[in-house]
Amino acid sequence: MAWRRNLVGLATVSALALAWYVATSATGLVSGGRFPSPTDTFAAYRQISGRGYADGTLLAHALHSLRLVAMGFAVAVATGVPLGLLMGWSRKAEALVNPVFLLIRPIPPLAWIPLAILWLGLGDAAKIMVIWFAAVVPAVINSFAGVRAVERPLLEAARMLGTPPWRFITEVLTPAASPMIFTGLRLSLQASWTTLVAAELVGALFGLGRVLNLAQQDIYPGMILVGMLAVGLCGWLTTGLLALGEARMLAWNQAEAKPAR
Amino acid sequence: MDRKLPRSEAIGLGVLGLAGFIGLWEALSFLGIVPSQFLPSPFAVVSRFLHLFTEPFAGFTLLQHLGSSLLRYLYGVLLAAILGIPLGLAMGWFRLLDDIVTPIFNGLRFIAPIAWVPFAALWFGTGIGGPIMIIFAGAFPPCLINAYRGARFVEPRLIEAARMLGTGDRRILTEILLPASVPSIVAGVRVAAGLGWQSLVGAELIVASAGVGFMMVQAQASVQTTTVMAGMVAIGLTGLLIDVALRHGEVWLHHRLGLD
Amino acid sequence: MAAIRFDKVQKYFGRGDKRTQALSDIDLEIRDREFLAIVGPSGCGKTTCLRLVAGFEATSEGVVSVAGRPVTEPGPDRAVVFQQFALFPWKTVRGNIDLGLRNKGMGAEERMKRIADVLKLMNLETHADAFPHQLSGGMQQRVAIARAYVLDPEVLLMDEPFGALDAQTRVVMQEELVRLARVRPRTVLFITHAVDEAVYLADRIAVMTRRPGRIKEIIDIKSMREAEKWDRFERIEDVMDLDSFVHLRTRIWKSLREEKDG
Repeated sequence: MAWRRNLVGLATVSALALAWYVATSATGLVSGGRFPSPTDTFAAYRQISGRGYADGTLLAHALHSLRLVAMGFAVAVATGVPLGLLMGWSRKAEALVNPVFLLIRPIPPLAWIPLAILWLGLGDAAKIMVIWFAAVVPAVINSFAGVRAVERPLLEAARMLGTPPWRFITEVLTPAASPMIFTGLRLSLQASWTTLVAAELVGALFGLGRVLNLAQQDIYPGMILVGMLAVGLCGWLTTGLLALGEARMLAWNQAEAKPAR
Repeated sequence: MDRKLPRSEAIGLGVLGLAGFIGLWEALSFLGIVPSQFLPSPFAVVSRFLHLFTEPFAGFTLLQHLGSSLLRYLYGVLLAAILGIPLGLAMGWFRLLDDIVTPIFNGLRFIAPIAWVPFAALWFGTGIGGPIMIIFAGAFPPCLINAYRGARFVEPRLIEAARMLGTGDRRILTEILLPASVPSIVAGVRVAAGLGWQSLVGAELIVASAGVGFMMVQAQASVQTTTVMAGMVAIGLTGLLIDVALRHGEVWLHHRLGLD
Repeated sequence: MAAIRFDKVQKYFGRGDKRTQALSDIDLEIRDREFLAIVGPSGCGKTTCLRLVAGFEATSEGVVSVAGRPVTEPGPDRAVVFQQFALFPWKTVRGNIDLGLRNKGMGAEERMKRIADVLKLMNLETHADAFPHQLSGGMQQRVAIARAYVLDPEVLLMDEPFGALDAQTRVVMQEELVRLARVRPRTVLFITHAVDEAVYLADRIAVMTRRPGRIKEIIDIKSMREAEKWDRFERIEDVMDLDSFVHLRTRIWKSLREEKDG
C-alpha cells in the first residue's frame, strides 16, 4: 500500500501548494503583508542568493549557523556523554553530581540567553555557550540511562574475560550504551538548532536568525519564509547526517530496529 | 557498576557536591575573580529573587510577570491539546487521514518552533497572540504524535478479543481504542507541557511586553545580572513545579484507570 | 589439590532486618578435571555458588579457592558461560572470542591460531564473521562456550547454560558438551535444575537444599557411567533409556522432591 500512501501524500502537498498560490497571489485572500505568496518568496530567495541580505548570501548565513551548531553540539557531546557514562557507571559519581544537575536542569536552555549575552556579548561565544547548556542535558541523561540499561551479564562477561579499564570503556561500555547515546544525540541536535535560532533572533550580527530578525523588522514576509525554510532544511540535513552515522555504528543492533517518527 | 549506595552515603555525597558547587560560585564572586557585575553571589541572587516578589521591575513584580507568562502558557498548551489530541487520534484510526497529514507534518517538523517568532511578531505585534502561537508550535507536536501512537499501536489482541465478543465498531472506538490510548496521550501532554514552557521562554525573550522572559531581557539590557539570574530561578522553579504536578497527575490517572 | 574448594562458606544478602541467608555451611571439594553438577530447587543458592567461584560475589564467611588460591575477583582462569549467552552484540563471533585473548596480551599470530582451533572444535567456522543476532540460540551458546574454552581456563563455570534454548537444541548441546568434555577435559562446575541433564553430563552431582542452601548429598555418577559403559551410546535417548540412568535420576528426583515439599 506504500504507493497509495505516496500518492495521497503527493496529492496533499500539491493541493496545499495550489491553495497557497490561490490564497495569496490569485485572489489576494491573504494579503502579501501577512503571508508571502509563492512569487514573493521566490523573489526574496533570489535576492538573498544573489545580492545578499543582512550583509550576506543565504549560503553564508546558513554556513555560519551550521558552524555554530556543529561546534556547540560537538562540545556538548564531548562533555556530556563521558559525564553521563561516568554517572551511570559509578553510583558515587552519580550521587555527587546529581543534585547540581537537578538544579540546573529545570532552567530552559533559552533562559540562559540573556545571561550569555551579558557574559559574552552578541558574538559566537555566547551562542556556543547557550547551545552547550541546551545540548549537554539530553547527552548526559541518555548516556546515563544507556549505561544503566546494559544487561548485567554483559558487564560480568567482560570482567570475567579480564578486560582492562580503558578497553572496558571503549569496547564494552560505550558500544553497549550506544543505542541510547544516539537517542540523546538526536535530542541534543534538536536542542542545538532551537537554541541557536533563538539566540540569533534575540541578538546576532550574522546567521539565519539574524536574517529572520531583520526580515521581521523590515516587514519582509517573503524573506521570513525563506529564512524559515532554510532553518528547516539545515535541520533536516544535519539530522540526516546523524541518522547515517547512527545506522553505520548501530548496524549490529538490527534485532531492535525501531521505526522513526 | 558499583553497588547501590546506602542512603546516608548518597545523601552525604549529594550535599558535598551541592555545597562544592555553591561554594565555588560564592568564591568566584566573593574573591572578585569574576566581577560581581557578571557573577553575583548566590545569596545576592536569592535575595533579589525574594525582593522581586514585592518590588516591581520593568513595570511589574515577579509574581505579576509570572502570572502573565502562565496565562499565555496555559492558553497555548490547552490549544495544542484541544487540536492535537483529537487530530492525532483520528490519524491513528483512519489511515487516509494519516496519509494526508503525515507529509505536511514531516515537512514542518524540522522548523524549530522558535523560527515562527518573526511571523508571530508580524501578525500579533507584542500582543498575547504571539507567545501563544509559539507555545502552540512547541506543544502541538507531542500532543499529536503521542495521541497518534496511542491510537495506532493498540495491542492487536485487544481488538481481536473485542471483535470475537461481537463488539460493534462504535463501541470498539469508545470502549477499547480510546481508553487504550490514554496513557500515551497523558505522556504526550506532559512532554508538551515541558516543550511549551521552553517555547514560552523563547517567545518572551523576543516578542513580549510582560512576562518573566521579558523581565529578563530588560534586566540584561540594563546589566542587572541579579535580576536576570533571579528570573532564571523563577522560570526553573515554575517549570519544575509544573512537571512534578503533571507527573503526579499521570500516576494518579494510571492508578484510577487501573493501569498499574 | 582440589581444583575448586568451598571452605565453611556462608553467604548473606541484604543488611539489618532485611538480611537473608542464601548459603549455609557449604563445604565442597571439586577435583581436578572433574565435572560436577549442582542441582536444587529454585532459589536454593546454586547460582550463588557459581558466582562465588567466578568472583562476582564475595563470601560473607569462609573461603572459596581455586587451585589453592582464594577467589577475589573475576578472571579468565575461571571462565563463565552464562544462561543468557552474554555475547557482545556489536562484535562478530571472531571478535567475541578474541577479546579474552587480547586481554591476556597474546600476540596476533597466536590468537589467530587459537581462534581457528576453537572455531573448528565448536563447528563455527562458517559463521566466524557473523554477528550474534544473525545466529540461532544454540549457535550463540556455542560461541559463548568457544569464548570460554579458548582461554584455556583452569575452571569452566556454566550457569544453566542450556536454559534459554528450546528442547531440541538443548539435547544437541548436551551431546556436544559430553563430546567436548571427553576430548578436552577440564574442571567444570555446572548449575542446572534439569536432573536428566545433570545425570547425563556429570561425574558427581551435589544436591542442594532449599534456601538457605546447604549441600544435602553428593551422588557419584561416574562409577555407574563407567561400569555400565554409557559412552558406548552416541545418542542421549539411548543413554536415558538405561535402567542405571533411570535409577540414578529417580533417586535424585526423590531427594529434590523432599526439598520442594519440605
